[in-house]
Amino acid sequence: MAESLRNIRAIAAKELRAYYSSPVAWVLMGLFAALFGYFYIVYLDAFVRESMGGQFGQGPQTVNVNMSMIRPLLGNASILILFVLPMVTMRTYAEEKRSGTIELLLTSPLKDFEIILGKYAGAMAMYLGILAVTGIYMSILFIWGSPAWQTVLSGYLGLLLLGGGFVATGLFISSLTNNQMVAGTASFVIFLLLWIIGWFGESAGPFWGSVLRYLSITEHFDDFGKGVIDTKHLIFYLSFIAFGLFLATKSVDSDRWRG
Amino acid sequence: MIEVQHLTKRYGPFTAVNDVSFRVEKGEILGFLGPNGAGKTSTMRVITGYMPPTDGKVVVAGYDVFTHPIEAKKRTGYLPETPPLYPDMTVREYLNFAARIKVGHLTTADRNTRVATVMKKTHVDDMANRQCGKLSKGYRQRVGLAQALIHEPEVLVLDEPTAGLDPKQITETRDLVRGLAGDHTIILSTHILPEVAQTCTRVVIINKGKVVAVDTPDNLTHQLKGAAVLYVQVGGTHDATSALRGVPGVRDVRETDRHQEYLGYEIEAEPNRDVRQDVAKAIVGAGLGLLELRPMRLSLEEIFLQLTTEDQQANAAAAAPAETAAVNEEATNG
Repeated sequence: MAESLRNIRAIAAKELRAYYSSPVAWVLMGLFAALFGYFYIVYLDAFVRESMGGQFGQGPQTVNVNMSMIRPLLGNASILILFVLPMVTMRTYAEEKRSGTIELLLTSPLKDFEIILGKYAGAMAMYLGILAVTGIYMSILFIWGSPAWQTVLSGYLGLLLLGGGFVATGLFISSLTNNQMVAGTASFVIFLLLWIIGWFGESAGPFWGSVLRYLSITEHFDDFGKGVIDTKHLIFYLSFIAFGLFLATKSVDSDRWRG
Repeated sequence: MIEVQHLTKRYGPFTAVNDVSFRVEKGEILGFLGPNGAGKTSTMRVITGYMPPTDGKVVVAGYDVFTHPIEAKKRTGYLPETPPLYPDMTVREYLNFAARIKVGHLTTADRNTRVATVMKKTHVDDMANRQCGKLSKGYRQRVGLAQALIHEPEVLVLDEPTAGLDPKQITETRDLVRGLAGDHTIILSTHILPEVAQTCTRVVIINKGKVVAVDTPDNLTHQLKGAAVLYVQVGGTHDATSALRGVPGVRDVRETDRHQEYLGYEIEAEPNRDVRQDVAKAIVGAGLGLLELRPMRLSLEEIFLQLTTEDQQANAAAAAPAETAAVNEEATNG
């Protein structure tokens, strides 16, 4: 057990190093920060207008920074990561397979799940780095306002779980090819599909509609943004992550058999 | 130390390795020889646990690589055909990472000393802080070797360690490998024949997934000589063919060199018959000067071709008796 943890940590550290030793990590963080910043300003502006309207008795009587600003902002972030995470996960396996370094990993005394969890942890750490940038914007709200921190925290938990599901899926897709562009594009398409699958739910019948809505990965995010941590969603995301990692393990294993 | 038993590896309908068996004893350097696509890499990948066999089994240092992969891998160092380097890591960082995933229990200080030792051993210490992606081919190969040695494995599997190196680097790598033989058991694949003669204690020749010969390089050359061939150099320009043909036991004589001061002949004798004395007597008896007389050994190159081009050999064998009969007839007539 201790050995497994050590191996996972070694691989995660290596992965994280690889992100930050290339411009990729910085570009992704910058891109995410810029887009998030744009939405931040848009919502902040709207919020300020709304609250001013409230003062003059034109708008709703109570304005809530959590409901009218942070929630939609994090909702947008959940869409943003859909674009950003394929770029995080696309190289994880594809690059190792292309350059042959996978031979080092697979002939070292490591178990398959250690390699996969290591890579997962590395990609998640990278994702946390990206999310951490948004902390700057949030701290401004906390300095000059008083949002309910529990709601903010549950929103971030939701983002983490949603991203966790994307990363697990992306890892699996990357393990299917040795071309990172293919992995990136395919991941993006699949993520997009997982997002919009809920839309089809609208037009489908009551039964299939609820099934499709349930499968939509973003559908489950909404409650987290409201500050509600529902076990139903928690279980959905956790099983989504587990399933993605399971597929990745199987894919690496079957690659081995095919040689 | 390494036992390969009836190993078969199929990729779909294609059989890359077909019922291969051999053993490598402790401290040996086994040369794994074959043309490109013979199944060398596939065999090595099974031995190192990179992929499972379709059939058969491999035991490394007492552990079945399929049922006890972790134990076997702890005792195996592997240098793939392309050294598995991460281009953006420095040599030191890379070896440190390799040490982390191969021997987890080391303290940081121990790990650093081990990395330093291995870098010294493989002569890459002068490039310790350079990124792997910026190394020359020779250095890459040696960093790859350093990675294979980092966990002090009992068994080393090297897939074409000298491929793509310049002659000086090849010699260095060979010396390095030979130097490792005492502490490690080594399997080394190559399609370059002199390499085997120079580095290996035993050779497995593989072609189209099948083992065609297992022996020491010396024995192989002897055993495959078939008919004994002598080279004779005779002084002067007087033709000695007829004199040589008259020697009992000589099957064929070919003039190979024609020089102003001497003539050279290749004499094919009947198998297992030493005709050297009689040949010498015949030349001297004919009043000619004997300048040189030596047995010719087939080079590994020729053996290799003989073994790996079976079809042609079979055809040649079918044609041979007629030829020999003709020669004999000529000899008696002459």
